[in-house]
Amino acid sequence: MPYLPDLRSLPFSAVLPTLLIILTGGARAEENGTQSPPPFAYSDKIFDLVETYCLDCHDETQKGDIRLDDLGALALTKRLDLLNRVQEQVYFRHMPPPKKEQPVEHERQALLAFLSAELAKNDASTLEGKLQKPEFGNYVDHDKLFSGEYRDLPPFTDDRRWLISEFIFNAKFQRILLNRTTALWNKKRVEVMGGINFRDFSLTNPFLLPETSGVRYYANEDLTGGHLSSMLTNAQKASQYLTETLVPKHRKSKTPFLPTVVEILELEETHLALLASRREFLNHHIERICAEIHGDRHEELLPTFVPVVLKPLPTLQDGEKYKRAPMNVSTNMLKKLEADRLVYHTLSDPDFAHLSDDEFREYCERIWFFRGDHERTIQSRMALLREYVPDFREIAEQNSRKIKKIVYQPLPDEEMLAIREAILKHRKKGDFYSEIIEKCLSDWEDRFARQREEAGPPSDDLFARLIDELSLLILERSPTPVEANDYLSLVKTYTNKLGRRKAVQKLMQTFILASEFVYRSEFGTGPADEHGRRMLSPRDASYALAYALTDQSPDEELIMAAQSGRLTTREDYEREVKRMLARRDIHTLIDPVLADKNWQDNVTQLPIRKLRFFREFFGYPAALKIFKDEKRFGGDRLANATNRVVSEADRLVGYLLEKDQNVIEELLGTEKFYVYHDGNNERMTEASEKIKRIYAYFKDTGWEHFGYPELAKHIEFLRQEPMRSINPDNLKSGNRQGDGLKLFKKSLTSITARLDKGQQDAPPFDLYRGYGSDFMPGENVAKLWGFRKDHWTWSASQPAAVANRKGMLTHPAWLMAFAFNTETDPVRRGKFVREKLLAGTIPDIPITVDAQIPEDHHQTLRNRLASATENDDCWKCHELMNPLGYAFECYDDFGRFRTEESLEYPENLIEKRPDEAKDRNHLIDLRDIYQTLPVDASGHLTGTGEDVLDGKVQNAVDLAGRLAKSRRVRQSIIRHAFRYFLGRNEVLSDSKTLIDAELAYLESGGSFDAVIVSLLTSDSFIYRKAPEN
Amino acid sequence: MINRRHFLKHSALGAGAMALAPSFHQLFAAPGANGIPKRFIFIRKSSGIRPLEMALPSFSKTDKALDEKKQALEVDLDGHELPNWLRGLESHKANLTLLQGLSAKMSENIHYSFSSVMGCFKSNRNTLSAIKRTTIDFELAKLFPSPFGHVELSFAQGRTGIVSGYSAPAPQTRNYCYADPETARNELFKSVLNPEAVNSDNDMLSFLQSKEGLKISGIQGPEKRRQEMQVDSIDVIRKRNRKLLGMSESLAKHLPELEPVHADGGLNASTPEKQAAMTRVLVAALRAGLTNVVTYTIDDLGTPITGLPGNETDRVGIHPLGHDEAFGGVPAWKTREQIRISHVNQIKTIVEELKATPEGPGTMFDHTMIMYFPENGETHHGIGLESPFVIMAGDQCQLDLGGRYVRLPVLGVEGHKTLGNWYTTLLNAHGNPIEHYGDLDLEMARKKLDQVGPIKQFMG
Repeated sequence: MPYLPDLRSLPFSAVLPTLLIILTGGARAEENGTQSPPPFAYSDKIFDLVETYCLDCHDETQKGDIRLDDLGALALTKRLDLLNRVQEQVYFRHMPPPKKEQPVEHERQALLAFLSAELAKNDASTLEGKLQKPEFGNYVDHDKLFSGEYRDLPPFTDDRRWLISEFIFNAKFQRILLNRTTALWNKKRVEVMGGINFRDFSLTNPFLLPETSGVRYYANEDLTGGHLSSMLTNAQKASQYLTETLVPKHRKSKTPFLPTVVEILELEETHLALLASRREFLNHHIERICAEIHGDRHEELLPTFVPVVLKPLPTLQDGEKYKRAPMNVSTNMLKKLEADRLVYHTLSDPDFAHLSDDEFREYCERIWFFRGDHERTIQSRMALLREYVPDFREIAEQNSRKIKKIVYQPLPDEEMLAIREAILKHRKKGDFYSEIIEKCLSDWEDRFARQREEAGPPSDDLFARLIDELSLLILERSPTPVEANDYLSLVKTYTNKLGRRKAVQKLMQTFILASEFVYRSEFGTGPADEHGRRMLSPRDASYALAYALTDQSPDEELIMAAQSGRLTTREDYEREVKRMLARRDIHTLIDPVLADKNWQDNVTQLPIRKLRFFREFFGYPAALKIFKDEKRFGGDRLANATNRVVSEADRLVGYLLEKDQNVIEELLGTEKFYVYHDGNNERMTEASEKIKRIYAYFKDTGWEHFGYPELAKHIEFLRQEPMRSINPDNLKSGNRQGDGLKLFKKSLTSITARLDKGQQDAPPFDLYRGYGSDFMPGENVAKLWGFRKDHWTWSASQPAAVANRKGMLTHPAWLMAFAFNTETDPVRRGKFVREKLLAGTIPDIPITVDAQIPEDHHQTLRNRLASATENDDCWKCHELMNPLGYAFECYDDFGRFRTEESLEYPENLIEKRPDEAKDRNHLIDLRDIYQTLPVDASGHLTGTGEDVLDGKVQNAVDLAGRLAKSRRVRQSIIRHAFRYFLGRNEVLSDSKTLIDAELAYLESGGSFDAVIVSLLTSDSFIYRKAPEN
Repeated sequence: MINRRHFLKHSALGAGAMALAPSFHQLFAAPGANGIPKRFIFIRKSSGIRPLEMALPSFSKTDKALDEKKQALEVDLDGHELPNWLRGLESHKANLTLLQGLSAKMSENIHYSFSSVMGCFKSNRNTLSAIKRTTIDFELAKLFPSPFGHVELSFAQGRTGIVSGYSAPAPQTRNYCYADPETARNELFKSVLNPEAVNSDNDMLSFLQSKEGLKISGIQGPEKRRQEMQVDSIDVIRKRNRKLLGMSESLAKHLPELEPVHADGGLNASTPEKQAAMTRVLVAALRAGLTNVVTYTIDDLGTPITGLPGNETDRVGIHPLGHDEAFGGVPAWKTREQIRISHVNQIKTIVEELKATPEGPGTMFDHTMIMYFPENGETHHGIGLESPFVIMAGDQCQLDLGGRYVRLPVLGVEGHKTLGNWYTTLLNAHGNPIEHYGDLDLEMARKKLDQVGPIKQFMG
């Protein structure tokens, strides 16, 4: 463990009891009917401390239901629980309370040492585990970390394994199962990394990360029985898919997938292919072959035809209605009944044109009967034909060219011979064709199985190659000689018991279930330096670097560097990190949730983990999951607006990272945003100009009064400037919302509403609200920014200035993510600023607190919150959050800027608007109108350590501006970057790493790439040390 | 050292080793207070249940008016006639509750709800990332563990084999289900029917345990603890498999028999035959103690229907029937009613089979709840304003239910209850003290009406 002023560094011997004050009180334990707990004792020295600093409140007065003078009376589990709570309170300096007398440092340390030793007796301390969690990272003193006082301590990370993340899990299986995901990028379909869905099946991802803001992926998670259970099923499914789908699919290609598996399964695959080919041939042509073989006897060998009986059509009772299912339903049903081929082939074949409907039905039925189809299936088909033959005839005539005839094409001679022999051998009088086919296939299957058995098991050499091949595929390395030997014995056992295919599958499963597959390995190797540290092994380093910036295994250059000894110095690391940061040839899905929603603007060329750091740090993607009321939003398509606002937050972060100058200050202080924009200024300008051209052209034409003849005069213009769903050559055509003329007027109404108010650039959303999207979805994002769509100062060139906004903390995506369903959440917003930006700490909510904001229908939320939290007990924590969170009250829970707060209670209702709009259009606003109260968004900033920044703030914009200038904020973000890229909390021995990272940022003009390079080439990253027991 | 409790706590995800079971993660049955676990059967149907279809034909004038106006109402079923399609439950009326007035707007509606009707979230047309939480059936399965934990059966889309299901053992995780009776039987009773498959799993686990175990000697500190934990996890699964193999003899006694028509997925079996066979497997699994929670999607809009009275020789689709489009000359409403009757017949069979099975001082049904409900609300294109439930509850059920027609206040008024309240009731009554299960209703939230917690009138 790196240097940490933690419990383990304390001199236990100094506090071991010499004189014990025995506080055993077995009576209470006996009362509880439990065994007497082991005795408990404070030493004299510790008892003095407890008496001085604790017992004022925690003796028989039991403040907070806690009593520390009779621990010995408690049952062991209760005692250990209490000791853990005391240890936390003392360690985090929450106790004694600030107003009480405080122990000096060595006293606090002595108390901690005692508590630690007492808990260690039962291996029961929970503090160490907590301290490894990201939410406890800030408990390492910020000022000390950056003071320089600890700069000389040698940084390192423990040798460790790091459980893979949900993203790495997906990437691994995408790679192994050759799954390709594509997405749109700049209007082109490109292959992307980061897909989560598989074409033919789904896997269970047991490595989902917690849904919190900040740093989500940490190296402190263990593989549990739950992971293992899921991985067992995943391994089974993956191995079946590999051997039964992928290997056969690529078997005949020039470079077959898994060639050794192909070789091992070659005979079986050949047999399967032969069986499939014979089955297909017989399914089509058995009647002909049987007739050829048996000649005149053929007919008498057939079973006697028995037609199915259909239930007569019922007579409707008076008033009863029968609405026959429409054609699309019946054709679909015909297909499901596997009758479509015969029906359409026959009906489109001129040779059968003479058949009447009844003759046609009987013809089909005879074919199905002799084929041996099940009576019920034939019944269902005949019932359908009873009602729909004329309709099917029509379809067949319309599509006759598309219906391909099945032409008789005999198989090679030896195959035909085998087929004839089998039919001769197996056909019995009265056999249906399907029975003959099944008997032949069964015979061939038995024969082939015997052939495979005679061929014997694969050779050891073949098995060795298989082991190497699968190890390379799944573990991305060759096995060691010892491993190869072990796997050889195992695969032989599998083969003996299960046969070749199942044995190969089982071996695949074994590799997938190895701990190496689910843990990233990060161990030092080579000689230790004077501090006992070793450099990461080159292979481990290659993975550590790859997973730092992407979810993929190392790329080719990184593999080569590791294999050729070019990953052994700090300079090597730097070269590779800079190379990877500069790559722009890989496209990655930013957010699988957005991808699942079929949202197209969701691809980045940046190294995904760089972008993901900020999206997770700010936590704005949570806006996608918050459940909001469409009516309170004011209109429809809230989901599209939410998708867009999150993807445009991503775009802004991506833009600032691509510029890579003053990144932190810009993220917190930019006044320019993307609002309904895909990042391509040229395309957006053209789309906007088109709307303006249409407006200018028709503005003075009196279009409101156009009929078809008047509109027809403008056909040439409509050809030049196509308008949504309007066909200039057929103005009477249209869609379910109207014909060409109606759609034209809808469009012009919308365009005019936008441009008549002096708007400069026209936001290029669809000309009218219809199904789907003609240009780009999500125009309702305007509402989240508080813009009316007919009065929107939109800019075609973005990012562009937006009033009353400053940085990510005023972005609607962030504001929505940090809100309740129907209200804002000043506490959580303030907590974010305190913990994530100011490196502060806030104790957990005491379990006795029922955190509720009281209802008062005539007060603002701020006032209601204040009434509940601004009292002695609550305020000691809430004063760290509320004054920061209040500043965001100038935005509502959708992120809309406001000066008045709507009191949304029934008694305050002024105007009730409809819940559903009759005519949905771009301009609807369904929000009910309530009485309001003025918003007070003033707040108070503390904790920057700079007098010029701390103090009263007017609102969130003011607050964001100050935070953007704060050194402590910059350092806090760098601390979080450390946690993100190192996967652990920083400790004092990482002081040099953090100071260097900040320096790199400053010297590079605020480059976040410089921070990443600094962190990934730091001793904290490069050097590893074996942990102690 | 990992212990059983720890393992179970962390085993809430995914399927298991032995039988490709959907939720094979809990081996050790945890009996209820009297040694008998509670059992829950969720039967999902498609195309809605219209609230009027559940109304009692013999309502008094006043009750009828209240019911039609969707105002709160509670009527003793005794002395009342059940709607035609529910008559199969006439002799079990004392155990029957017709629950009306729950809303399900937080779930997805219209044609399909996918996972959402049992998870109270929007399922974004069945996308994985939208699965927000463990569904209610899996939550209950955690409270009453069993070898299979949870079993999902489904006739959705007329598929066969093991296919993806609608229940969710964890967020962003989709369960698997058995889509035909033969597959369900073969997988649930695999340790009887195919013990070799189990043994080969154990060979692999034994190898992994030994291989991972060897690593322990070379490491120390937290990594050593990690490695020990992994080895112990493998050991727990091996023991689990061994225990199931050990149960083979008792399992064999409950092995259900299926007719030949169910071979190869039973593509030619009629709807009543399929339903009866699946019900037989379901009851057998409960009797054998393989599971205490079953989710049974008895149909969805893609399930082919054939062989019902009136449509004996036709194959009909539920989706067109929902649009009043019919087949074989039979008006759509009649076929829809026959579909519901076929469902009720299955409920009746389950009730009677379990009542005929002694357990403790009573029968297996005493500790069982069957919930039959539409996946998508009140009509073929449900909007979630109402989500009717038909509930059969045994005498030892922990809720105050039975023999009643209950209509709760409609959505948007004081006292209204949502699907989330109903599921919270189930959880609270059976040992999970969750404050509220599922997403909240936005109309209730907008109107600042209380909507959190269990339905107090049902809490025993």
